[in-house]
Amino acid sequence: MNWKLAILIVAALGVVIGALIAIGVAPSDAFLQILKGSVGTPGAIGRTLRETTPLLILGVAVFLGLRGGLFNIGVEGQFLIGACVAASLGLKVPGILGVLLAIVGGAIAGALWAFPAGWIKAYRGGHEVISTIMLNNIAFHLTTGLVAGPLKAPGQQSTTTATLTDSTKLPMLYSAPPLTINIALIFALALVAALALWLKRTVAGYELNAVGANPKAAQFAGVDVRKVTVWTMLASGAIGGLAGSCQVLAYEHRFYEGFSPGYGFDALGVALLAGSSPWGVVPAAGLFGILSTGSSFISAALQIPKGLNGVLIGLIIIVFAAFRYRRSRSNG
Amino acid sequence: MGSFDLILLLKTAPGLSLALLLAAMGGLTSERSGIINIALEGKMLISCCVTALMSVAFGPWIGLLGGIGAAVVLAMLHAVLTQMYRVDHIVSGMAINIIAFGASNFLDKKFTDINRTGEIPQLPFEFYYVAAFALPLVLWLYLRRTKGGLRLWAVGNDPDKARQMGVDPVKVRYLALLATGVFCGLAGAWLVTNAGRFVDGMTAGRGFIALAALILGGWRPIPAALACIAFGLLDSIQLQLQGSKLLGAGIPSQFWNSLPYLATLIALAGLLGRNRAPAGLGKP
Repeated sequence: MNWKLAILIVAALGVVIGALIAIGVAPSDAFLQILKGSVGTPGAIGRTLRETTPLLILGVAVFLGLRGGLFNIGVEGQFLIGACVAASLGLKVPGILGVLLAIVGGAIAGALWAFPAGWIKAYRGGHEVISTIMLNNIAFHLTTGLVAGPLKAPGQQSTTTATLTDSTKLPMLYSAPPLTINIALIFALALVAALALWLKRTVAGYELNAVGANPKAAQFAGVDVRKVTVWTMLASGAIGGLAGSCQVLAYEHRFYEGFSPGYGFDALGVALLAGSSPWGVVPAAGLFGILSTGSSFISAALQIPKGLNGVLIGLIIIVFAAFRYRRSRSNG
Repeated sequence: MGSFDLILLLKTAPGLSLALLLAAMGGLTSERSGIINIALEGKMLISCCVTALMSVAFGPWIGLLGGIGAAVVLAMLHAVLTQMYRVDHIVSGMAINIIAFGASNFLDKKFTDINRTGEIPQLPFEFYYVAAFALPLVLWLYLRRTKGGLRLWAVGNDPDKARQMGVDPVKVRYLALLATGVFCGLAGAWLVTNAGRFVDGMTAGRGFIALAALILGGWRPIPAALACIAFGLLDSIQLQLQGSKLLGAGIPSQFWNSLPYLATLIALAGLLGRNRAPAGLGKP
């Protein structure tokens, strides 16, 4: 710990505590209420786990990209496209077949949506962050247009699709209301395990790591860097789309305007917090899930606007990013 | 196309371009100095919020200063994080956007007087018009004709060479981001002046459209400004065509909204000429 980092942490804490004091809330009170609202009751735990699921899957998507040297800020757009495609497929084909179709369709749609960014990066040298930001905005307008037009449920006032039939939903793994746990959470954890194994045990995983660590050295060692870059983006996009599918099939059961409250952007924080191991995504997503659910709770209980959560998450990202740089430099 | 009104189009388009122009010029000074800036959106938004709150409390001039000040604070945070802490430019920009969205929501919800009615006190529109349309010209002259401008250009293209020539890149970047904060602050103040009040997330992606215009314009002031004006025009066409039929078919407004992003994507793919990004973008 050096003094620069200490100043940053103190300043970040100061901002949050100062904001709480300015609106007349005791910081310790806010902290306890966040815990109470996120893990204090069975119902709260259920809500936190629900909130954690998309963060977990999207965190994996971003983490995979980062490992391959790509900043996939586009997961927000891939999430929306995946969810929109999954909802329309699930509505067309009910039952188990529909679930499978929606999962695969969402993943493919997410991959296709990420493809331009990967291609532009690999073959045109355009920064993937800029292209994914553009793709995010196009995805937002496209899905909004679709759900306001051709996909809109007949007879509905709001811009939303119809609701999936019960047979087209992902089932609950544990259901003792108010605590319910959807199978999608297990699915997400399995994805983390799969990624960890894949990165460690396969040639492709090794190549991806090599490209992310040093593309020039990888090229020299005979890795086709361009191809790996495109495939990394496709895989990251597919997982992003999959997160959208799961969100529709497990929790929302429909697609509507304003579907994502910014999961894709929080996922970037999750992946950064995760550090160097894919397993780190799990506690990071859990923390963001707790903060998000807890801050919803305190916005009602203590009249603290939900925006404070954004400030907190942004500050956490900043502190960890600064910390990560120190560590990587001392290693190198 | 009976309802299409050219006069109205030409009247509304400049207003819709204004915020884009100011924000894009903010992005220009930052990226020309080598700092990638995806946080134009956040800086504008925090300025919208603070301008609205402080205009009500202390009048329009203090409101404007407050908005600019808030955007400058975020710009300086970006500078400190990227230069002193060596945080990745994208991560820092992203975090600043998230903070700005949260902070503007927080401040607005807690400090807005809900019993107050009517619009917030505002400066004359002409003030913003003159500022926004003069800025690209001034910046163009500055970059071409002055020592400071050439230094900015040099640092963005090759920080190491600039260092060897006796220019301190870090100092240049702090000044460049100061300008970014001021311009984005102005952009936000204009948005809230134009709208009459603050609404959550009211920048609605304009910071990203400004970034798109900057890229389309090849990181040069005049072409970037022309792109902003084109996007403003597009926006005003979109507003007019809402509900009306073009060539017998209704085109959803979302299509028009996507066009700036689509154009930028095509430009990034290199289909609209060579890559003109500052060579030292993102380098320490």
